[in-house]
Amino acid sequence: MTELPLTGVTPVTVPDVSTSAGVGAVASPARRSTAVRRGWRADGATVALVPFLVFVGVFLLWPVGAVVVHSVTPGGSLGIGALVRAVSGPYRSAFTNSLTLAGASAVIGGVLGLALAFALRGLQRPAWLRPTIDAWSSVASQLGGVPLAFAFVALVGTQGVLTKGLAALGVDLAGAGFSLSTLPGMTFVYLYFEIPLMFLVVAPAVSGLRTTWREAAELMGAGPVRYWWAVGGPVLAPSVLGGMLLLFINAFSAYATAYVLNSSGQLVPLAIRFVLQGNVITGEQDLGYALVTWTVALMAAGLVLMHLLRRRAARWSRA
Amino acid sequence: MSAVATSGVAHDVTGGAEQPADSRRPTGAGAGRRPGAARRRRPGLEAVRWTFLVVLGLYFVVPQLAMARFAFQNVPVVLLDQHTLLSRWSAASLLRALHEPALWQATRTSALLAVLTLVLDLALLLPLAVVAEVRAPRLRTVLATVTLLPWVVPPIALVVGVAATFRTVAPGFLTSPLALVPFYAVWAMPFTYRAIDSGLRAVNARTLVEAARSLGAGLPTVLFRVLMPNLSASLVAAGGLTAALVLGEFAFASLLLKTTLPTYLVDYQRDAPQAGMALALAVMVLTALALGAVVHLLRRRGLGVSTTGF
Repeated sequence: MTELPLTGVTPVTVPDVSTSAGVGAVASPARRSTAVRRGWRADGATVALVPFLVFVGVFLLWPVGAVVVHSVTPGGSLGIGALVRAVSGPYRSAFTNSLTLAGASAVIGGVLGLALAFALRGLQRPAWLRPTIDAWSSVASQLGGVPLAFAFVALVGTQGVLTKGLAALGVDLAGAGFSLSTLPGMTFVYLYFEIPLMFLVVAPAVSGLRTTWREAAELMGAGPVRYWWAVGGPVLAPSVLGGMLLLFINAFSAYATAYVLNSSGQLVPLAIRFVLQGNVITGEQDLGYALVTWTVALMAAGLVLMHLLRRRAARWSRA
Repeated sequence: MSAVATSGVAHDVTGGAEQPADSRRPTGAGAGRRPGAARRRRPGLEAVRWTFLVVLGLYFVVPQLAMARFAFQNVPVVLLDQHTLLSRWSAASLLRALHEPALWQATRTSALLAVLTLVLDLALLLPLAVVAEVRAPRLRTVLATVTLLPWVVPPIALVVGVAATFRTVAPGFLTSPLALVPFYAVWAMPFTYRAIDSGLRAVNARTLVEAARSLGAGLPTVLFRVLMPNLSASLVAAGGLTAALVLGEFAFASLLLKTTLPTYLVDYQRDAPQAGMALALAVMVLTALALGAVVHLLRRRGLGVSTTGF
C-alpha cells in the first residue's frame, strides 16, 4: 500500500541518481520497489561494505583494540603503568635500538635510493638498464625475511665468503667490530630491501623534475645551488621524506630478518616475541600489550605523516 | 613502480585521474631524455655515476652468489682460492632438502594458505571495488583508507592481540594452520585492493558494466564473464604479491607454532646448514621469479601496481 505513492516518485528520483548509478535505470519492477525509497539505493552500496568491515573488524580491529585496552588497564584498572614500563628499563633500549636501526636504514637507504634514481635519470644508453632496475626494485623491495638473512650470513657471517676473503687480505671484519647481529650489521642487511623501495617511491618524482624548470631558473640567473634550494629541493622534499618514512615503518616492523640474524637482540619486535612467549609471569602480558600499543601508535603516526607528505608531493607530479 | 606516488593522486582526486598508473610514465621518460642530450657531458660525473651503479649492483648480486656457493659447493671457505673456485660444485644439498617429506608438508600448507588468502581477499574486495567504481565512487575513499590499516599493524603486533582475544573466545580456532588465512588476507589487502582498483580504471569498468547490463547480463555474468577476463592482469598481480607475502611471512606463523615454508626454513637450516641454505636460495629465486613475472605482465599491459601497497 505504502509503495503506491512512492512509485510515482520514481521517475523523478531515478534520473537524478542514475548519473552516478545508471545501471539501476533498467531494473526490474521488484528491484525498483527497493530502489524507490530514496537513500536506500545509496545504502545498498554501504550494505555491500558490511561483510568487509566486519571482517576487518574481527580480524584486525578487535585484536588490536583489545591489546590497546589491556595496555591502558594493566591489572584490570585504568593506568599508564604498563605503557611507562614498556619504555623504561631494558625495554627502553629495545626502543632505542629499533628506532636507531629503522632510522639509520631509512636515512641511508633513502639517500642511496634517491642517488640511484638520480644516477638513472637521463641515462638511456644501455636500453635494458632502466627496465631491469625498475623490475628488480619491485622484486627486491619484497625480498626480506628468512632467505635474505641467510644470504648475508653466507656473505659476511663468521664463515662468510667475504669475511674469509678479507681475512686472507689481512682485513679482520669481526675485529673491526662488524657483525651481522649488531645494529650496523642489520642496517647493512636491511638496505637490501630499503634501497629498492626508496627507488620505487622517488623515481617518479625525480624523473618528473622538468627540464623547463631548470632552464627557467637558469634564465633568471640562478646557479645550481639556488636552483636546488629554491626549486628542485622543495619539489622533491615531500616525496623524499615520505619515502624515508615508509622505509622507517618498513624497517621498524621487520621481524624475520632480525630474528635470524640475532634472535636475542634488543629490538622491539623481538622483545614482543620474548614477552609473548614468556607470559606466564603475571603482569608480563600487560607489558607485551604496551609494547604493541607503542608500536602501533608509532606506525600510525608514520602513516598519517606519510599520507600528508604524499598529498603534497602529488601536487607537483600531477599534470 | 610508478604507481607508488600516482595511486595517491588518484585517490585524492576521485574519478579525476583516469589513467593513474601510466599518465606520467611517458612524460617522465620524455623529460628524462632531453637533459641527457642537452646537458654537456662531464666525464667525471659519468665515472661517479657508473661506479655507483656498479657498486650497488654488486651489493645486490654478491650475497646471492655467496649463498649459492655455500649451498652448492663442497669446499670449506678457508680452502677457497683460484684453484678450488670451480671445483666440487653439486646440487646434492638441494636434492637432499627436497627429499624431506616435512618440506612438502610445509610447502603444501603455504601453497594452500596462499590460494585461500587470495580467494578470500578477492571475495571480499572484488565486488566492493566494482561497486565503488561503477556505482558509488564515494566508497573508494573508505576502501582506500581501510585497506591501508593493515600497514599500521605488523604481524608481530597483531599476533599478540590474536593470542589475547581468540585464545579465550574461540580456543579451537587457532589449532589449524588454516586459521592463518584471515590474517594473511588482512595483510594482503592493501595491494590486492590497489591491483584491482587500478585494473578497473584501466579497462574502463563502468562503461563495460553498463554495456553488459543493457544487453541483459545478470550480475554473475557481469562479474565472471565481463570483468574478470578484463582484469586478468590485475588478478595475476594480486596473486603473485599474495603468494610472495605468504611465502615470506614468518613472525605470525612462528609465534602461533604453525609450520609454513618460512618457519620450516629456519628450523631446517639449524639442522642442515648447507641444505637449508640451498632451500632458502630456491625459495628466494622462486619468489623473485613470481614477482618478476607479475611486474613484466603488468608492464606489458601498461599497468602499474605498486608492490609497496600504496
